[in-house]
Amino acid sequence: MPRLFPQEDASDVRRRYKPDVIKGDMDSIRTEVLDFYTTLGTEIIDKSHDQDTTDLHKCVTYIRDFAPDLDKSNLCILVAGALGGRFDHEMGNLNVLCRFSSLRIVLLSDDSLIHLLPRTHHHEIHILSSIEGPHCGLIPIGMPSSSSTTTGLQWDLNETEMRFGGLISTSNIVTGEKVTVQSDSDLLWTISIKKL
Amino acid sequence: MLPSQRKRKITISSLSFLFGFSFFPRRPLAMDLMHHSSTFLLPTIPSDHRPSLTAAQLRLCADGGANRVYDEMPRLFPQEDASDVRRRYKPDVIKGDMDSIRTEVLDFYTSLGTEIIDKSHDQDTTDLHKCVTYIRDFAPDLDKSNLCILVAGALGGRFDHEMGNLNVLCRFSSLRIVLLSDDSLIHLLPRTHHHEIHILSSIEGPHCGLMPIGMPSSSSTTTGLQWDLNETEMRFGGLISTSNIVTGEKVTVRSDSDLLWTISIKKL
Repeated sequence: MPRLFPQEDASDVRRRYKPDVIKGDMDSIRTEVLDFYTTLGTEIIDKSHDQDTTDLHKCVTYIRDFAPDLDKSNLCILVAGALGGRFDHEMGNLNVLCRFSSLRIVLLSDDSLIHLLPRTHHHEIHILSSIEGPHCGLIPIGMPSSSSTTTGLQWDLNETEMRFGGLISTSNIVTGEKVTVQSDSDLLWTISIKKL
Repeated sequence: MLPSQRKRKITISSLSFLFGFSFFPRRPLAMDLMHHSSTFLLPTIPSDHRPSLTAAQLRLCADGGANRVYDEMPRLFPQEDASDVRRRYKPDVIKGDMDSIRTEVLDFYTSLGTEIIDKSHDQDTTDLHKCVTYIRDFAPDLDKSNLCILVAGALGGRFDHEMGNLNVLCRFSSLRIVLLSDDSLIHLLPRTHHHEIHILSSIEGPHCGLMPIGMPSSSSTTTGLQWDLNETEMRFGGLISTSNIVTGEKVTVRSDSDLLWTISIKKL
């Protein structure tokens, strides 16, 4: 965060952008970082005993269960820094989308945005062409799809079968302001993010 | 490896630059066992065993991979003239739909005699797919039983490209293809075989994972991991094995489904 505001004092920036919670198994956070945020009042939740779920999974659980009286019908969780780095971490993050398929979770990297399109719904994706696209893809994660149909893509699907080992939709192009998708299987939607 | 057995080295490129070579003789007794090893990552193995661009029989760039080779090879040899470095590491073939390669890069390699195969009419396959097809079909009389294709720069960047690269592993499941990034190595473990993965702890690990790509797995069993699987079910939306740890020199895997194996690469 201080690098984004090079003209300001680093501690001021860090204070302004302090997390409310740091949660995980605590095997990656540096000691001086943990101490710094602890002194600022950040809640530290050490889940090192739980080796069955990833750190992201633990955080999404926290958000889902936080303030149960709060109306979360419009909740959308953005995960920055979700891609790149170790490949198994990336797959673990994709799996969090699948495990929490009833929550809106968006994975972000410098280049791409990813979210799940659950098979339980038809989907309308509104494209903001100033900030995203045109490159996009639809990926049947976890299960093949016998039938997927889209509108708004250069290579639309028409009750098309998709599976790893066969056809998946990559290097596709959005052609307008709206893309629609329906499928018999959960699909990952990905679209490129424009460099500003 | 018999002294008389000549290594076949074939180089292709996807997003960046790839090396392919043979390193394992097939053992006639273990018919359903596949061995895997990352010796290609060792910096100290003898030069005739190490993948080398100068020793490769064939170097192939997939479209924009040529930009990466053109831009980045000179940076590895900063004390040398850039054109000399580019000439020494010129690809034999550039193949793809040609929508990424820069004009000056295309002109440079064309003038050096690189074969340009424009497949822009074919929008059904990715540039990497086109390159793997080329290697598979290249010199049909050549013994390719020990072929292994390494794809550098295969991860990171656009996510749909990355998924397309994983899909190439699945579509060419009978070929040994290894995807490489700065952080990780990935290859497919076909369900048709039991697998022994030899861990070179000086260059890889300890972090690893097994993912059921495309289909859930009802039953997977491993040895050599901190959290071994024991006829364990794996699927996206449920359990997949990530942030696992290799505990020794050998990992074994068997599964009823194709799995992706990934292991971290150590920074040297």
